[in-house]
Amino acid sequence: MATLLRRVLRPLRRLPGRPGPAADVSLRPRSHGAGLLYPDHIPTSPLQKALLAAGSAGMALYNPYRHDMVAVLGETTGHRTLKILRDQMRRDPEGAQILQERPRISLSTLDLGKLQSLPEGSLGREYLRFLDVNRVSPDTRVPTRFVDDEELAYVIQRYREVHDMLHTLLGMPTNILGEIVVKWFEAVQTGLPMCILGALFGPIRLSVQSLHLLVSELIPWAVQNGRQAPCVLNLYYERRWEQPLRALREELGITVPPVHVQGLA
Amino acid sequence: MAASRSCALWSCCGRRWSRSMRGCWLSELHSSWSGGPLGARLLSQEKRATETHFGFETVSEEEKGGKVYQVFESVAKKYDVMNDMMSLGIHRVWKDLLIWKMRPLPGTQLLDVAGGTGDIAFRFLNYVQAQHQRKQKRQLRAQQNLSWEEIAKKYQSEEDSLGGSRVMVCDINKEMLKVGKQKAFAQQYKAGLAWVLGDAEELPFDDDKFDIYTIAFGIRNVTHIDQALQEAHRVLKPGGRFLCLEFSQVSNPLISRLYDLYSFQVIPVLGEVIAGDWKSYQYLVESIRRFPSQEEFKDMIEDAGFQKVAYESLTSGIVAIHSGFKL
Repeated sequence: MATLLRRVLRPLRRLPGRPGPAADVSLRPRSHGAGLLYPDHIPTSPLQKALLAAGSAGMALYNPYRHDMVAVLGETTGHRTLKILRDQMRRDPEGAQILQERPRISLSTLDLGKLQSLPEGSLGREYLRFLDVNRVSPDTRVPTRFVDDEELAYVIQRYREVHDMLHTLLGMPTNILGEIVVKWFEAVQTGLPMCILGALFGPIRLSVQSLHLLVSELIPWAVQNGRQAPCVLNLYYERRWEQPLRALREELGITVPPVHVQGLA
Repeated sequence: MAASRSCALWSCCGRRWSRSMRGCWLSELHSSWSGGPLGARLLSQEKRATETHFGFETVSEEEKGGKVYQVFESVAKKYDVMNDMMSLGIHRVWKDLLIWKMRPLPGTQLLDVAGGTGDIAFRFLNYVQAQHQRKQKRQLRAQQNLSWEEIAKKYQSEEDSLGGSRVMVCDINKEMLKVGKQKAFAQQYKAGLAWVLGDAEELPFDDDKFDIYTIAFGIRNVTHIDQALQEAHRVLKPGGRFLCLEFSQVSNPLISRLYDLYSFQVIPVLGEVIAGDWKSYQYLVESIRRFPSQEEFKDMIEDAGFQKVAYESLTSGIVAIHSGFKL
């Protein structure tokens, strides 16, 4: 029967632009053309999301330098949590403004000259110093692709861009120990499965001394601060560049880290 | 950009001037060229639709070449790893079967088009080398009363371990060729191997040059498959053989559904996790669906002038080897 169908379709086959038999459409999610909710969107089926979640988790553990895998894990596992975060942002006045105006932190939107000229100790100046010392840039973040809701895609993108801010606020460098501490803070704050998994499994690759330091001092500090601070996604950082970092920390109730982790203080 | 580079390469390679002039694959040059032996062929191209498919997308013909180039540029480094992952290693068996079907005799001149990372070329070299060694052994065994010195001298004096066989690997993509050359260096293939940058639709070779033309998993990426087939016909010697290993249509409906499920659900995920590139592997599985069936492709090969065209489906039709002769 299939060959009969093909014989009938044969004269049409040679023409370009002819899709395959309709029966298989359900198994073939389109990744281009109509149906895209935002520019980088790739629609995925539940099976693909499950495979992606498993694969990215494994690959992220195997090769910790694959930051894109951590991002993909977050996107595929965070749907429910992102909804909760988004609703909570809507209830907060500053958060609602962020959702409406959709600010983005990237090298093209940041005025580096202005940030450079800000006084020492201000958020903008310290953020810039953090970028320089750790040799990172806000543009190396992968865009969101696998979230099937346009607003939630922005929420997770904002979360990623705020991650660097958290490093500055908590005074943690971008080495593996610093990243784990920030992950613990984020896990408590956001509840994203990817943060929780990263916080629990990240320490696997640490040395015994770092692990001891982490468990005895840094994790309790991060958890305590995460609990008492309001949600960090609700801060409109772009309007707070001039605010002194110390004042911002006091506002959020973030204390000084108990141990000086190598790198940016 | 890629077109002007390949133009320069061909013109300084001293090819026939008419070919190198036509070599720039911008369609404007096609229409402005008039008269000469190429005129008749070009007239038939004028009525061609300017749109074609790129996977399930529709793109213009000029765009397709560039987009395919970008796909292979980005997958080149992980090409072999991904092939193993996606086909669970079965692609090695398919390529081995292609060489066994070929049964190259000593002294064969092989042209492997779209052969970027060299899989077919290396298998060919292994085969002819093994054949040559077997022949040597047989010869020595036949001559019973040689002294040890004479036997040792026979082995030492042998300069050409391939019996005159040569393989030319031609690919349009620089990154793929680079990976192939690195592999050749690592696995120490030196003799009888050449690497050429070229377009399957406009091969930088003279007529009647090669004994065998192979194209493995490359022809479905070519914008004008019929042109590639005509070029294949042109560069083969009379008596030469055309062999194509390509993904094809599965006949069994159950296997077809499983294959579709695997292709569309698993392969792009593998591409994302292993190579960090979803879109290239989505293109790959879509381009497989766009390729004509075994019978249709057989007709296309016959249209290009090949005779005794036959095909053999492997793994329930997931791939097929098409073969034709220039007589």
